Amino acid sequence: MDLEKSIMSLADARGVSGDETNAAELALSMLKSYTDDCFIKNGNVIGRLGCKGAKPHILLDAHIDQIGFTVTHITDDGFLKIAGCGGIDRRLLLAQQVTVLGSKQLVESKLLDGVICAIPPHLETDESKVPEMEDICVDVGLTKAQAEEMISLGDKIVFSSRCEKLQGDRITGAALDDRCGVAAVLRALELVKDKTLQNEITVMFSTQEEVGERGAKIGAFDIEPDIAIAVDVSFALTSDDSELKCGTMGKGCMIGFSPVLDRELSQRLKTVAEKNDLPYQIEVMSGTTGTNADRFSVNKGGVKAVTLSIPLKYMHTPVEVISLSDVENTAQLIAAYITEVVL
Amino acid sequence: MTIELLEKLCRLNGTSGDENKVRDFILAEISGFCDCRVDPLGNIIAEKKGASAASKKVMVSAHMDEVGMVVTSVKSDGTLTVSPVGGIDPRVAIGRPVRVGDGDICGVIGAKAVHNLSADEKKTAPKFSALYVDIGAEDKAAAEKLVALGDFVHFHSDFSAFGDGFVKGKAIDDRFGCAVMIDLIKSELPYDCVFTFVVQEEVGLRGSRTAAYSVDPDFAIVLEATTAADIPLASGEKRCCELGRGAVVSHMDRSTIYDKELYRLSRQIASENGIGWQTKTMVAGGNDSGAIHISRSGVRTIAISAPCRYLHSPSCVVKLSDLEDCERLARLMLEKMCMM
Repeated sequence: MDLEKSIMSLADARGVSGDETNAAELALSMLKSYTDDCFIKNGNVIGRLGCKGAKPHILLDAHIDQIGFTVTHITDDGFLKIAGCGGIDRRLLLAQQVTVLGSKQLVESKLLDGVICAIPPHLETDESKVPEMEDICVDVGLTKAQAEEMISLGDKIVFSSRCEKLQGDRITGAALDDRCGVAAVLRALELVKDKTLQNEITVMFSTQEEVGERGAKIGAFDIEPDIAIAVDVSFALTSDDSELKCGTMGKGCMIGFSPVLDRELSQRLKTVAEKNDLPYQIEVMSGTTGTNADRFSVNKGGVKAVTLSIPLKYMHTPVEVISLSDVENTAQLIAAYITEVVL
Repeated sequence: MTIELLEKLCRLNGTSGDENKVRDFILAEISGFCDCRVDPLGNIIAEKKGASAASKKVMVSAHMDEVGMVVTSVKSDGTLTVSPVGGIDPRVAIGRPVRVGDGDICGVIGAKAVHNLSADEKKTAPKFSALYVDIGAEDKAAAEKLVALGDFVHFHSDFSAFGDGFVKGKAIDDRFGCAVMIDLIKSELPYDCVFTFVVQEEVGLRGSRTAAYSVDPDFAIVLEATTAADIPLASGEKRCCELGRGAVVSHMDRSTIYDKELYRLSRQIASENGIGWQTKTMVAGGNDSGAIHISRSGVRTIAISAPCRYLHSPSCVVKLSDLEDCERLARLMLEKMCMM
């Protein structure tokens, strides 16, 4: 598996919370290289491997959805009104190019591309104003009748930007949150491909994390893991952010420590990283983590959960940035851990 | 005009003051079809032979430059601060990919994660002074190996057809005008005339000023893209002009009161030839006409513009039928003006 290519193809696939089909099908096809026992259920991509029935049962999770929008209305002149799916930064929406996820055929033809309306200077002189969501319109170059023919209310919309390589091992793209986490889990499976896993392992690429970790909740209910690892992204430090909230890009996987996570499990992953000479960072959170781990820990009678986070800059923008080495190191850490678990 | 030609032109990076790539492309396109020279500012002055001499000297002009940014400093973390070149709303720069310097290095203008914004920060769009470009350099030293102060930063966005005959991309303002002029130069024209592909429109109509001085025309046709506000946020006259209604010919904008006779003639010619024609419903904007019409002892000038949504953003939107109307009208007006 070429990690860089995998990350880029996963992040260029489209999958907004509630319509992850395109990304989920790609992830499923990649998962098939490591287990035949894989499928999609209620939006979650699930794969089972390792020693079936051998406890503790480990869940490796990364979410497959990305933030985006949903079409709520078509105006008389054929523009789309939209609502956000997930945490949208309205400061950067104007004049963004987007794609409406209508039928597969229409998406591939690019005919359902559009532009979020920007405001000409004669209509608004205050460039510091952030538009309200209700004032946002998407220009799809169609009349109302044409738009109604091709677009349904409820169709999802994504930013159209594609992944690109930056300097060094850095990559930019719109859905690296959390497709790089998906890639890290797949890479970990590749690393343990020839090893005998002594625990039951379930992989889940979960739906609807960005709207409140809903896929995680229903997925964990079926899977019933004993230990759950949420592989997600977290903040990498930028000059306009606080060191207190951020990790450092290129310095390895961020291991979560929080009252809602299992401290022994966090500690164990730290020890595994040290034993294997893997760079890591400690991410301390004082309450819930904002990741699927929050759902896993309270699944059924309770699950020991931890977060492993890949540092990412500019989260929820069309130009998120990650370092390839952090993804590789996260995969190495997961691989080392699942190779040795047996508790 | 072919969409392929427009796409090639729009994909080139040519922020004001850095038009070389656009100029080289245009020179290669028109070589053999006219006599070209490049003036000290970088304008292309192309003299085109027609079937016969013209009674009046007509200059057709479009600008090669686009709005962009310039690198002003390298920060300790390897990111670059930038200033806008030309009028850019910082809200259309935040959160996009860009290209930096002659080597078109990939970069992004990021934004602090929305999760970490204070309530005030969420409500206030950052100014240009707060934006920075990240090329992925690990630190200042790594960035300085690749980027020099004064390097230009260009928008980078997809160019594509979409919807019902629409096109989106960066720099349609004014590569559209350049594309029309390339078409005209490559075709057989009835009379001699002069085409100028000018620099630095976006920073104060500077290239057109020297070009008009050198050419010393009687008449000028400026080919442009102009703001259309036919979006749900605007109604009535605030829309200025609309996509799909044809070539925009202004009677007045903030830089020029256009020649009345030419203005009326354009409407008549459009009507006689079934060409979509509209005028702007506000006195807004401006273009190279502002410099050209007061060149030397005065030049009778008209501007023919494509209505364009989201001007000066990475995602300009135009309609192909309007581009065709502009090109047809420009061709007919040119022929008429050569013999006025």
